[in-house]
Amino acid sequence: MARRSPCDTHDTNGRTLSAPGINGERVPMRDWSREEVEFCIVGAGAGGSVLGAKLAEAGFSVAILDAGEHWDPTKDFISDERAASKLFWTDERITGGQHPVELGSNNSGRGVGGSTVHYSMVALRAHPDDFRRRSLDGAVPGADLVDWPLTFDDLESYYDEVEEALQIAGPTFYPWGRRRRRYPQREHQLNACANVLVRGCMRLGIPVAPCPIATLSAPHVDRPPCVYRGLCNYGCSTNAKSSTLVTYIPRAIRAGAEVRPASMVAQVTHDARGRVDGVLYFRKGQEGLHRQRAKYVVVSGYAIETPRLLLNSASSRFPNGLANSSGLVGKYFMVQPSHQVYAKFAERINQYKAPPPGGAITEHFNRTMPDVGFICGYVIEVIGPHAVEFAERLIAGRGLWGVALRREMLDYNYFSGLGMVGECMPQRTNEVKLHATERDQHGLPVAHVLFGFHQNDQRLIQHARGKIEDIFKAAGGSDVWDAPRTAHLMGTCRMGRNPSDSVVNADCRAHDIPNLFICDGSVFPTSTGVNPSITIQAIAARTADRIRDMARRGEL
Amino acid sequence: MSTARHLHRETTPGGKDVFQTRYPHFNVLDKWATPDWDDQTRETIRRRLEDVPSIRFLSPSEVKTLEAIVDRIIPQPDRPAEAKIPIVPWIDQKLFEDKRDGYRFEVLPPQRESWRLAIAGIEETARVFFKAPFHELDAPSQDMILKRVQQGDPPGETWKQLPSHVFFGKVLAVEVVKVYYAHPAAWNEIGYHGPSSPRGYSRIWDGGVDSWDAKVEGPDHGTP
Repeated sequence: MARRSPCDTHDTNGRTLSAPGINGERVPMRDWSREEVEFCIVGAGAGGSVLGAKLAEAGFSVAILDAGEHWDPTKDFISDERAASKLFWTDERITGGQHPVELGSNNSGRGVGGSTVHYSMVALRAHPDDFRRRSLDGAVPGADLVDWPLTFDDLESYYDEVEEALQIAGPTFYPWGRRRRRYPQREHQLNACANVLVRGCMRLGIPVAPCPIATLSAPHVDRPPCVYRGLCNYGCSTNAKSSTLVTYIPRAIRAGAEVRPASMVAQVTHDARGRVDGVLYFRKGQEGLHRQRAKYVVVSGYAIETPRLLLNSASSRFPNGLANSSGLVGKYFMVQPSHQVYAKFAERINQYKAPPPGGAITEHFNRTMPDVGFICGYVIEVIGPHAVEFAERLIAGRGLWGVALRREMLDYNYFSGLGMVGECMPQRTNEVKLHATERDQHGLPVAHVLFGFHQNDQRLIQHARGKIEDIFKAAGGSDVWDAPRTAHLMGTCRMGRNPSDSVVNADCRAHDIPNLFICDGSVFPTSTGVNPSITIQAIAARTADRIRDMARRGEL
Repeated sequence: MSTARHLHRETTPGGKDVFQTRYPHFNVLDKWATPDWDDQTRETIRRRLEDVPSIRFLSPSEVKTLEAIVDRIIPQPDRPAEAKIPIVPWIDQKLFEDKRDGYRFEVLPPQRESWRLAIAGIEETARVFFKAPFHELDAPSQDMILKRVQQGDPPGETWKQLPSHVFFGKVLAVEVVKVYYAHPAAWNEIGYHGPSSPRGYSRIWDGGVDSWDAKVEGPDHGTP
């Protein structure tokens, strides 16, 4: 193993790179582009950043490649909805199926930090039951509900670890899931939208609690507490938000990893024995394909780009793509039903103030409930769309345009919104495949994403819509309306014990190729009923420790 | 025709008072030099206000049609011509640069083709119904055509190549509001505070109004 001092930023040729810091400064960075690294990680999002930082800190040589830019939050993040499109994956993807999902700004990141740069920061642990849905709920016609090869016990200490690293702000006592120690930082204030949820729930006897979120409520090292500017979905320009861009990525660079932006990986390559040996990638502004050699490759591109890269890496030895002997790469694509409901209030709400999650949540319906006609559950969260996004909801939900749209928008400050995040049944027919004819600017086949809701998903959405309407009415709202929506991407490289019905094992290691790992939301075999980011990060933290331990035992 | 009268019943255009704002004295640009706007945001909004792009992709006749369409999706009868928020130039810029959104419904052709087909389709439907170009029709007739486009059943051969309801609901109307509600003049009318960095907000509770927030006309029920 190429051991070295973490502060050694010179390669054998004496070259030094630098990367953006988080407060306008530049920081020195190791250059691994001409050497074989131990780990080449494709994608610097929730999974890749955590894994890269921990592997570098364990002494491995690491290069993390990302297709997008490496932003400096204080200089590059603009307080504006329209200007935020640079943070999203805007390359073409084709979306179809019975209920085509909307991608782009909705659920994909581009650039170092991935979608944690613009996510809403809701930091909920999955419940112990979420890892054993098949055992608890049985078989579901039309879906392949399975137990995870991991249990909550396997991940519990990693949830602790990630929550500490991100300094999650939450309540002293959180009433759902397994009892836990208090959150690292105190809970945030409630905004008006959160007060609506609290008021409605209390009048109906529904338990409600402060929502744990990944933005600081007190200063932490070189980052200040949140000022409630509310533009979290367009990049945090004050560094309060605990994206991986300002948490794990600086750790990775300090520990000697290189974070290489603007590098779009086209193919994972392998040797004659069928073991992967590096990646070929396009670098923005440079001609042709570049090569990064690596002993191990980790694909962390999220549930669309990960299967796309594996399928685009097909070779004569692996004609169906890498790690795909099961035929399941790209299958069981899942999105969480994230229907939104709005109501009008007599008092001024100001949806744009404070982080979109508002500060309150109820997980009361996040369980399989008796006599409702569906299994699994959902959470109800606060939302806070800004002007453009709210207008888009009025079009999607009510078909408004013209005079009617402009007039309804005049009441923007008097609307309050609640959204569900719910479990999605894993269906084999929902998939990410390569499009037959469409190519991107590099000539690579683009992703063709097919999705349709299961009947269970649709019943769950209807139930959530009804409960949210009850809450709004109890809270004094009127004119309730709703807008369909989905969020979060999962599945497509599900983990499992058996190579015939899964792509990776519990350590995120490909069954087919021992030096290939997949570490992002695509390994989820079931979706859980909560926002997935903290679970993705806990899995990545665990995977890093497993790799370290296997290396020590000579099992890697 | 009777269908037309039925369909445009709710959207009869009115005068200035149709868009009575609650915030007649709010101008978000008053905060240009305050702690609500950082340098990069000021530069972004300055370009939006001053550097309206010229038309480079659409043809003059396509622009004429699209201007008329956009004027019905977001009517601005309350503003004199020189004060209207420009929308078509930004759509044209997106098409000129062929900047995508990250996804395309499989039933739609590629972006540029979809927009050209939609403009041609609306012209064709106008000829079928009224034997006149779309931009020469009165507002109720234009609204009737756009309703049919939104519903997915406008007459015309062009629409065989483009599912009109998908394009209208997921692309056309969305793109128009993405431009309109990104403009400070639109923020003023709805009381949206816009940029807020680095200062943020303090009074985030029900009815809470910070001293730098938009104030409603008359007695303010906010918290001091």
